[in-house]
Formats: sequence, structure tokens, C-alpha cells
Amino acid sequence: MSTFLEPADPAPTAAERLHIAGLHSPSDAVLSVRDLNVSFNSENGAVNAVRGVNFDLMPGKTLGIVGESGSGKSVTSLAILGLLPATAEISGSVRLKGKELLGLSDKAMCAYRGNDIAMVFQDPLSSLTPVYTVGTQIIEALTIHNPGMSKSAKETRAVELLAMVGIPSPRNRLKAFPHEFSGGMRQRVMIAIAIANNPRVLIADEPTTALDVTIQAQVLEVLHKAQEETGAAVVMITHDLGVVAGIADDIMVMYAGKPVETGSVDDIYYDPRMPYTMGLLGAVPRVDVVEKSSLVPIDGIPPNLLHTPTGCSFAPRCPLVTDACLDGEPSLSPVPGTGYHQAACIKSGSLGGDVDVHEIFSAPPVPVSRFDLIPRGERSTVLELKDVRKHFPLTKGALLKRRIGTVKAVDGLSFDIREGECFSIVGESGSGKTTTLLEIMEFHKDQDGEVIIGGISNKQAADAKTKSAMRREMQMVFQDPTGALDPRFTVYEVLAEPLQNAGFSRPDIKKRIMELMNLVGLQPDHVNRFPNQFSGGQRQRVGIARALAVNPKLVVLDEPVSALDVSVQAGVINLLDKLRAELGLSYLMVAHDLSVVRHISDRVAVMYLGKIVEIGEVDRVFDNPRHPYTRALLSAIPVPDPQFERTRERIILQGDLPSPLDAPKGCNFATRCPVFAALPAAKQEKCLTLEPPLEAVRASAAAQALAAGPVPPSDQQFACFFPDGELDEDMLVVHKTAEPHAP
Amino acid sequence: MIRYLAKRGITYVFMIFLTTSAGYFLAVSSLKPALLEQERIPRPTPEQVANSMRLKGLDPDLSPWERYVEWLTGIVTRWDWGRSPNGSFINAEFGDRVWISTRLFLAAIILTLVIGVALGVYSAARQYKFQDRAITSYSYLAYIVPAPIAYFLVQLGAININETVGERIFFVTGISTPGMQPGWAQFVDMVAHYAVPTIAITLVGWGSYQIAQRQYLLDNVNADFVRTARAKGLTRNQAITRHALRVSFIPVAQSIAFTIPAIFAGGFFAEKIFAWPGVGSWSIDAISLQDVNAATATLAYGSVIFALGAILADFATTLVDPRVRVQ
Repeated sequence: MSTFLEPADPAPTAAERLHIAGLHSPSDAVLSVRDLNVSFNSENGAVNAVRGVNFDLMPGKTLGIVGESGSGKSVTSLAILGLLPATAEISGSVRLKGKELLGLSDKAMCAYRGNDIAMVFQDPLSSLTPVYTVGTQIIEALTIHNPGMSKSAKETRAVELLAMVGIPSPRNRLKAFPHEFSGGMRQRVMIAIAIANNPRVLIADEPTTALDVTIQAQVLEVLHKAQEETGAAVVMITHDLGVVAGIADDIMVMYAGKPVETGSVDDIYYDPRMPYTMGLLGAVPRVDVVEKSSLVPIDGIPPNLLHTPTGCSFAPRCPLVTDACLDGEPSLSPVPGTGYHQAACIKSGSLGGDVDVHEIFSAPPVPVSRFDLIPRGERSTVLELKDVRKHFPLTKGALLKRRIGTVKAVDGLSFDIREGECFSIVGESGSGKTTTLLEIMEFHKDQDGEVIIGGISNKQAADAKTKSAMRREMQMVFQDPTGALDPRFTVYEVLAEPLQNAGFSRPDIKKRIMELMNLVGLQPDHVNRFPNQFSGGQRQRVGIARALAVNPKLVVLDEPVSALDVSVQAGVINLLDKLRAELGLSYLMVAHDLSVVRHISDRVAVMYLGKIVEIGEVDRVFDNPRHPYTRALLSAIPVPDPQFERTRERIILQGDLPSPLDAPKGCNFATRCPVFAALPAAKQEKCLTLEPPLEAVRASAAAQALAAGPVPPSDQQFACFFPDGELDEDMLVVHKTAEPHAP
Repeated sequence: MIRYLAKRGITYVFMIFLTTSAGYFLAVSSLKPALLEQERIPRPTPEQVANSMRLKGLDPDLSPWERYVEWLTGIVTRWDWGRSPNGSFINAEFGDRVWISTRLFLAAIILTLVIGVALGVYSAARQYKFQDRAITSYSYLAYIVPAPIAYFLVQLGAININETVGERIFFVTGISTPGMQPGWAQFVDMVAHYAVPTIAITLVGWGSYQIAQRQYLLDNVNADFVRTARAKGLTRNQAITRHALRVSFIPVAQSIAFTIPAIFAGGFFAEKIFAWPGVGSWSIDAISLQDVNAATATLAYGSVIFALGAILADFATTLVDPRVRVQ
């Protein structure tokens, strides 16, 4: 532990002096962190994971800590709670209501953990003990800090907590085990445990990262409610700039273990002064913006924390770098002419509001494809699906299997993809997106439904030759670039394999590989490296190069950027955009991030329980969603715009995606539909008994939505009887309480 | 649960029947007790041998199938597992031997389990410290050293103690001294006989449980749910004992459940070396003595023990792991 926490030292310690020097009065701060440093000893030397974090958290306020993986945000939170392994070296000061927490023994910390300061972790699936009931685990949190509480009082409180976080029939659910809950439900339980003792500080570490967007919206709402009920101050740790925009009062941006910019939420989003923050904001695609511009890529990777930086840690990636930047690490200093907005950049004064981030980071121009000018109807079809179905029988019994139901993973899917087009499928997990891809890749004549790839139908795919011809037409890029590349293959071998299969000669293979490396923006002399020598973004580029090796017409992208950090993601999206235009590729993409879909796609299909509920041009579907599910999905996406987030009206769907076994007879979505809930009984009957077909949007409705300019013919289709029905008020949420931060 | 158990039970009964029948055919076609009889002095005539065999129900002139039917009828109708070539009844012999094996192994296996699991937890909590390294190294050593050698070493140690003290404190073989008066002296005699085999079996046995328990617990000490428990306000040790331990015990409980019935099946080496005539040594002797019925009976008994172990393992898993409870 640090030397300046020695109790024998009578003079004011360094930490206390820092406290005194604090910029705004820390006396009323509920949590006050000063000069927090954490380092771990590794085989290669000390890793400085957190370097000099300072912040004050006022009661009832929310601080958002934003950063990419490895920026030290989670380590900061674990250090505050004293949950780091004993090998971590921690110095500085963490004061909770004026009491120093650093240096306390594990036992002494237990009086605070779960009582005054509580935490919600990232992965709800593994964060609850599988062998104890939910009730036991909530009651345990109560017992630890209230030993005198009676058994019945604890049980009443546990029921109250579960009800507060929105778990239906809480009394019965107390006896349920974690595995009987969905991910979103488990995260609610985690929140219930965290707020059990009315903490003053609640730390949420990426609480919604592992969840679907609709569930994310629910959980954020629960967190918001929990904060209102308990009056706790919240530290929200996230990599998603959208998640914190609506709920945070202050933001701290971290990079390489150090806060690089702090300020009120409006300061950070509307007037960023540190190039890294500016880059991050420019790197996020937005779901609510039509205008197409390239994303801001931040080249390079975060620095290795083994070495203490001699200059600005962002300098190697910063486009504005000058020699002065390399001379000593800049400290957080107030931005001239603002309140307590601070940035760790020597140029923060000159990076005012009128600086265009696209210019600074030299974002590439929007690529134009030769197909862009040809109307869609005149382009040839590269992929067509006709009524594709994939039903899995659900059986019971060990010896004699009885069929007790059918899981309709994909239920009558039809769509087509034209040349030069990007078509995306969106939906929650379990909606059948991946099964659709697998069905296309399967390409077998016994499939239910017809798949036509580049003019070759699966019904005639009898011989291996036809199949291999099909494979040359279509290739796939996978979600996890690390898992998709053989760790024992060099990049050369990875790229050579498909070419060998296609019968290329040795010199041709070599030539083609060099071409590919250039194409995806990798250095050609890196071909002899192994995948683990590359960063995540570079690995995904290798994956893309592998897919492009045999010159396919169609590339299937399965969540191509979801495993990547925001700044890296932008580079890969730009690359995909560029390749599509240059090579005239078509993409079939599956993604859960609607912002990415909006940015890159031309057309989109929204899937729910194996069916397409809405399909059409991406701008039309996103700007004028007709199906209630599309509307709910879009309203659940957080937008990195604080003003917009504070005032927007959200549809919070209730419950989870129903089990395919319980799917209703009529409209699949009826059980969660906000329109259905508000319909009179007579109309509800129609939803429950009849299956709504996919129908084109009537011209009048579309015309009203896009009043300006001539109305081009629309191919937007949706499957709902009452698209204009009123929404149920219980599912609508507007936060009017949040006001802009007083300067 | 009862329906599930009944289903499993029926499956196992069927399997036991199959293995036992197959075992009988193997034994009856390869074991020829009549050959041993011929080595007696004075040498009996073949007719005499066949006659004596026929009287014990081991007629060598019948075909294997006929003998199988006869044997099976005896079991099904009279629960009579037949006789040995020396004339003793399997049923009577069996009860004695099972009881001997049980007495030999009961204390040892309970000690093995308790010590193994406790040391596993202790060493996991002190990962890579001196205690952990010492305990785990010992376990691996016990793993590699063949059991008979370890038993002999313990025997030698006990003999050494006896010699050093100059008095016979421990008996290294046998079950009890014949002709002891009931009371204190008999109890002391029993302890003196039990000590050596129990210590020997325990010393050799706990290693595997220690290694398994240590490994499973270490897999869980840094689990997310342990971190959650600590965030609630439990100390690290409390969080590990209340949350990680129970989860890490699931696979260990399974292997324990499998072990418990094995107590009654005995072990060949231990019984031979410590001269306790239990089921384990009997099963091997049966083969060398060309004893068809005894060999088959021990095989059937082994199958039953295995089936019980499997059912117990299911039970144990359901008991400790709510995720697999059958609805």
C-alpha cells in the first residue's frame, strides 16, 4: 500500500492535501476519489492499469465513466470496492462520506460493501450463484448488514425489492433459481441485491452490455427507478456513449488508464476538447440520422500499459500530434472559458465547437458504388430466398421420443438481395437471424424452401461441383475474429486455403494474397504472422480478406463488428463500405446494433420469432417504422445525444422474447405489443386469431411521412393489422426530470 | 423422482442380467474345476470326479446352456447361487466375505473422503503457498505409487514401531486374535488390527479427492458470483466457503457417490496384503480355483454395486445442484 497512508504520519497526507486542493467542494461529495493508481505485477513488469483518477460524486447524481476495453474503467470500480486481487498495488485516496476506504482490510471493507456502496456487474448469467435461490441471495445481502432483522421482515423486503425491479409475481419467484430466469431478469435481480440496503453509491459496470436492446432499455429504466427510490449516486461504467447520454450528469472519458476529459454531459457531447473524445463521438454511427457520412476511424491501438508514457498517451493515434505532445504527459486542466470542463490535451483551448472532427481524423469520403445510379429493379439478383422454413421438433422422453411441439426458428422467409446492395437482418437474440444465415449456408436440396445464390438454386444442388460454384459466389465473415481464425495458421495460410480449394496456382495465390492484404488495409509483410500477433480489428480485417479471396459476389456478415471496440469498429465499417463500392459486393448482414445497420445498409428486415415483421429501405423503415415491434426496437436504441435522450419518448417492451413454444396463434408479437395492449377487445381478437401478412405500406401513409419532394415508389412492407393504433401508456416512458447540468 | 428412479432401476436390472449371464457363459466355458480335482492324491478316477461335481451341481458333462438354465432356475426360484468345487455354498460364503470387506474399508473410505475434501479446500485457499505445494505434491506421489507398495511400506513402518517399542502394538495382518474375551481387551485387539490397514488405505486414497476438490474449487474462487457475494459484504473467505465451495462440490459429490458402494466390494490388494478374506480376494481366488459359481456371483455383485453407485451419483447431483432437478 502507498506510503502516504501510513497511520503514523501526523502531517496532512498527500491524499488529504489533494482533497484540500480539490476543484469544487468535496465536503458534500458522497464518494471522493483522489489520485487513484492501480498497478498489477505481470511477468513482463508492472502494468499501470489506472493512473491518477480523480472525481467527486455528489449525492443523487450520475457519473458516466466511458472508455474502451483496457482503459481502466472496471479496475477503477473494483479498486473503489476493494475487490481487486491482493497482488494489485493501489495508492491514492477513496473517501466514502469522508471516510477513507483504501487500506482497509477485507473485513473492514465488508461493513461498506453492499451497504453504503454497492455494485452491479456486467454479466448477469454468471454473476449469481447457480445453486442458491434468488430469494436466498437477496436475503443474504440483507442478513450481512442487518443481523437483527427478523426472518419475515427480510422476506417482505426481498419481495418488495423484486417488485421494485419489475419481476412479476415476486413472492413465488423468491424460490426460483437463477437458471430459471432470463438474462434481463437476472440483471434485475442483481440490481435488487445491490439496492437492498439503500446504498449511497451504486456502481454499475457495463450493466447492459450483455443484453438485447429491448432488454437494455428495460434494465436502464430499472436502474433509473432504483436511483430515484434510493437517492443513490450512480457511477455508470460503459463503452457505449449512447447508454450514458441520457442518464449521466457528468462524464469522465478514460484512455490508457487515465482520465483524459471530464465535464458535464453537455460539455463532453457538444463541446469535446480532447481529440480522443472527439474521435470516439465521431466513430459511433447514429440510428436517428439519415445523412450518410463516413465514420471517424481512430487508427492504431491503445498503448501498452507496461511502459509509462513519456508524452500524451494518445499521441501515437492522434492526427493533431506535434512535438510538444510528446514532451511530458499532459495533465487534466480546465478548458479555457468553461466551468469545470477539463481536458488532458495541450490544444484543448483551440479545439472549439467549430472544429470538424471528420476533417481532423481525415475520415474517408463516402464511397460511391457503380451500382448506386442503377435503379434497384434493374440490377441482377445475387441471393433470393423463397419461403424458407426451419422447424426444429421438440421431443420428450428418453427411449420413445414424443413430439411435444415445434420450434419455428425460421418460418417462411422470403427476400432478395440485388447487386451492390447491403441487406441487414435485425432482431433480438432468438429471433432466428443466425438460423437464417445457417440455412443459406447449408444449401441443401432437402431444405424447406428455395435458396437461390447467383442463379444456382439449392433444389438443383445435387453434386459437389454446383456446391463449390455456389461457395465461390458467397463467403462469410464471422462475429468473433479470434475464434474464426486457426491460431496455428499464419495469415498467409489462412488466405491461401480458399484459393487452393478454388484451384489457383502457387504464383497466383501469392499475388492474390498481396492484393488482398492491401485491399483490407494490412501491411503485406505481415503475412507470416500468426493471428494472435494482431489486434482485434486487424484480425477482423484478415477475416474479411479471407472471405474476399475467391472474389465472391455476396459476403455474409454475421455481427462483423460487435466484438470490436468503438474506435476500431469505425475503421472496419468504413472498410466494408469501401469494399462494397469498389468491388461491387453485396452484403447480407446480421447485427443487433441498429446504428451500425442504419449506417451501412440499404435495406433492412426486422425479424421477430422467425418471421419478418417489417422489411424495406433502411431510411424508410427507420424513419417511418410501421410495425409496433420496429418502433419499440428503434426507440430502445440509446443515441449519443444528451438533449435528444432526455426528451425522447421511449417504448419499453414488457417481458422477454416468448419461448417459441408459447408463440401465439395469431400475431407472434401480440404478447408484448404496446398497440395490442391498448386495443379494444374486439380488435384484440383479430390479432390473436389471424396471422397478419406482410403488406406494402400504403402510399398515402408513406407520403405523409416524407412530405417533401416527390414520393418514390416504396417497397416497405410490414405485418400488422393496426399500425396506427395507440400505444399503451404503461409502456411509454419519458424522463422529464433530467435537466441540463447547471454550469 | 420415484418414477425416474424406477425407470433407471429397471434399466440397470436388465444390464446386470446381461453382464451376469455373459459372465456365466465365459466362466462355464473356460473354468474347468474337474482338472484341479485330478491333481489330488490319491488321484480320483474321472468317474469319481464327475460324480462329485454332479453332486455339487457342477456337472462337466452338461452343455453350457443346460448348466446356465439350471443355475438361473436355482437363483430365480430358490435364490441359490450354487456351490463351489470344494462344496461350500456361495450364499453362505458371500455374506461373511461382504461383511469382512465392509469392515476393512468402511472407516478407511470415510477418512479418505473427509481428509481428501478438507485438504483440497485447505490447499485451494492457499494456492501456490508452501502448504499447498506440499499437500498437492504428496497427492500426486500417492497417485503414482502402486497401492501394494504403499501398503507394504505402511506395514514395514508398523513393524518398525513394534520393534522400536519392543512390544507388539499393531497387527499388520489378520482381522482379530482368536479366543479373546469380550470386553476391553477385545476392543484393544480390534483397534490394533484395524489401525494398519485403515491408515494404509487412507494414506493412499485421499490424494485423488484432494486433487479434484482443489481443482474444482480453484476454478470457482474467481468466479463472477463469488465477486458478487463479496460485493454484498462478505469477506473473501466467507464468499468462497458459502458460494464457491458448494458449486465446486457438485462434481466431487458425484465421484463420492460412486465410491460409497465400492466399500462393500472390497479391494483385492488390500485384502491380500492385510490378510482379510473379503470379496475382493475371493473374486480373484475364484478364478484360480476354477470356481464358476463364485466368479459369476462376484461379477453380479460388482455390477449391482456399480448400478447403485450410478443411481447414488444421480441422487447426489440432484441434491447439490438445483439446475438438474427433474421436474
